[in-house]
Amino acid sequence: MRDHQREVTTTGVPPWKSPVALSVALHLLILGVALAGWSWTSSEHEPPPRSISARLITQQEPEPSPVVEPNDQQERNEERRAEEQRRQAEAARQEEARRIAEQKRQDEQEKRQQQEERERQVAEAKEREAQKAREAEAARQKARAEAKEQARQKAEEEKRRQEEAKRLAEEQKRKQEEQRKREEAERKRQEEQARQEAERKRLEAERKLREQQLEAQADAAQKARAEEARRQQEAAAAKAREAQMLSESEKYQALIRERLSQKWYPPSSATEEMTARLQITLLPTGELAGVKLVGTSGNTAFDNSALSAVRSLNRYPIPKERDTFERYFRQFTIEFNPRRMIR
Amino acid sequence: MTHRISNKRFRTFLIVFVLFFVAVSGARAELLIRITEGANAAIPVAVVPFAESGQVPAGDKVSTIVQSDLTMTGEFRTLPPGKMLSLPSRREEVYFRDWRLLGQRYVLVGALTRSGDRIEARFELFDVNREERILGETAAAPASNMRSLAHHISDKVYEAITGVPGAFSTKLAYVTLDNVTGKPRYRLQVSDVDGKRARIRLESQEPILSPAWSPDGKRLAYVSFETGKPVIFVHELASGKRTKVADFPGLNSAPAWSDDGQSLLMTLSKDGNAEIYRMDLGSRQLTKLTNHWAIDTEASWDADGSGIFLTSDRSGGPQIYHMERPGAEPRRITFGSRYNARPRPDDDGQFVYYVHQRDGAFHIARTELKTGEETILTRTGSDESPSVAPNGRMLIYATRQGGSNVLTVISADGGAAYSLPAAEGDVRDPAWGPLVR
Repeated sequence: MRDHQREVTTTGVPPWKSPVALSVALHLLILGVALAGWSWTSSEHEPPPRSISARLITQQEPEPSPVVEPNDQQERNEERRAEEQRRQAEAARQEEARRIAEQKRQDEQEKRQQQEERERQVAEAKEREAQKAREAEAARQKARAEAKEQARQKAEEEKRRQEEAKRLAEEQKRKQEEQRKREEAERKRQEEQARQEAERKRLEAERKLREQQLEAQADAAQKARAEEARRQQEAAAAKAREAQMLSESEKYQALIRERLSQKWYPPSSATEEMTARLQITLLPTGELAGVKLVGTSGNTAFDNSALSAVRSLNRYPIPKERDTFERYFRQFTIEFNPRRMIR
Repeated sequence: MTHRISNKRFRTFLIVFVLFFVAVSGARAELLIRITEGANAAIPVAVVPFAESGQVPAGDKVSTIVQSDLTMTGEFRTLPPGKMLSLPSRREEVYFRDWRLLGQRYVLVGALTRSGDRIEARFELFDVNREERILGETAAAPASNMRSLAHHISDKVYEAITGVPGAFSTKLAYVTLDNVTGKPRYRLQVSDVDGKRARIRLESQEPILSPAWSPDGKRLAYVSFETGKPVIFVHELASGKRTKVADFPGLNSAPAWSDDGQSLLMTLSKDGNAEIYRMDLGSRQLTKLTNHWAIDTEASWDADGSGIFLTSDRSGGPQIYHMERPGAEPRRITFGSRYNARPRPDDDGQFVYYVHQRDGAFHIARTELKTGEETILTRTGSDESPSVAPNGRMLIYATRQGGSNVLTVISADGGAAYSLPAAEGDVRDPAWGPLVR
């Protein structure tokens, strides 16, 4: 913001260089030149009007001699110029009246002064002609000067206007440019700001992302560690469970063996070669769900003794843990095979 | 070529198949519990008193006799009827739960019906645990022969439970000695296995020794001193006809029947030394089977009837020997002590039973023929004359008890002893009769 402001002040134009000031100065200069020019022309045409005004004095109330005036005029340029202008207009008008009076007088004196007049007229005419030509010339010149002045003024005006317009346009353009520049700067600034903001945001986002990633990585690592620990723990637990189940199972196998040994009455005919295999199915309560002779000893009494023994237990000793039961005791095989028959 | 390929394929398939099964069976390794020992106790059997209809003779009840028979074996213990919760006589009346609660393994129920002068018995044996009938038969006997009917039932029950024929219908022969009349009185008697229904077959003031049953159970051979010297007689039980078969100079002793009942093994010392001879009963021809300076005596055929067990002191004292075949060089069987005599092989060739002296006392012992392992079966001190039941499950022998000789039955493995009711005086030389079909 501050940069922008500074920029504006540095790129600004000093007041003395402002178009308005320039314009005023230019006008003053032009006016000065114009007055100087006028002053030069009027002093050049001073003598004839003086002679004419002598005649006017005769006809009209004498007036302060304009001769004196040039001194004044010189003193008061401004007033004089205005007076001059007025007098010029007056002169023109007086010239007209004089010309009419001259005509009249010429007419009256025509006769008396015909000859002379004629001669003088010729000269006068000549003079007049010359005068006229000069006047005309002067008028023309004046008109031309005026026109010129007007044209000049107009041109000047135009020029001024154009310059003004141009200046305005330039000003406008400059302003626009400035505006544009300002806007550009602003835009750039904003853009920069936006860019910076975006960059900042990007960095922030990146940082956040990195943080998140790190966090996620840490999380993942943590999770992995936890998972690994859990897995190991589970594996260990499973192993322990397995071992526990096995030892449990062995305990109950021993119990079943003992109970069945107590309940088994091998028949007299039993020999060590005899083996009866029974498949036992238990209910989770330990009750016998079913028994199947899957391998006969070849001796009915022996098979029967085994079957009877197996059926003699009201409840089989089984582990409380359901999984151990399901794994080992839901269905199993019992083999009856006397190791040492003393009989 | 294609054949070989398919063969190879088939082999691959087979291998995969087998591996699969190995894997599966490995995964499904089922628990196996091996029972190698049985209850060291008698089998509990409930013999329910039989229902009776019609006039059934008084006296010992059939169920009582059966109970007694089963108990005698040492393999069973019976439930006193007073402890029974009910007295069923038919299957419909048997509540297995009750018998289970009473700890019974088997229940025998039955009914006796008078039919003319005969008694008909219907009997059923149940396995309490399996809740199954394992025996159901009928049998009939004259009203006067209720004991035979009972022993028959005992035989059937025994066989149904043990897989071995019962020997309760067999007979015993033994010799008693008393002095009731002031003079020694020797009596050869024949009784049921429980000692009941004993009948005197011969009475003498001179010793009677070594009764031996013919394989058909119709004749007895024995040694009688009635002529002042030992003479071997063959006695037909049905007719009472007696035949003097060996009356040689010197010793005529230890008769033993061959399986066909056509010849006798005997010990004769007619040539100066006691040797084993075989006598063909038809021709009275003698074959000398041993020829040794030592005493050879007490011969008996082995289980398959091809070899002979005997007692010989050729090693310095009496020991048991076995001849692979008659006349072969005897092979010594016993080594456990300095005195082993009177061999009696069982009928299935597993064991030989004999009198065994140790520390001045005589016991009954047996040796397992396969292993040579010797087991002393009795704890009494003056045991003699072992005789094996024809089913090989029981053994009878004579022993001293309370100052007199008695007969005792033990299970063949040395289990529970059952003493036969004491007769008058001493009882000696028991011989267990054959199974009579």
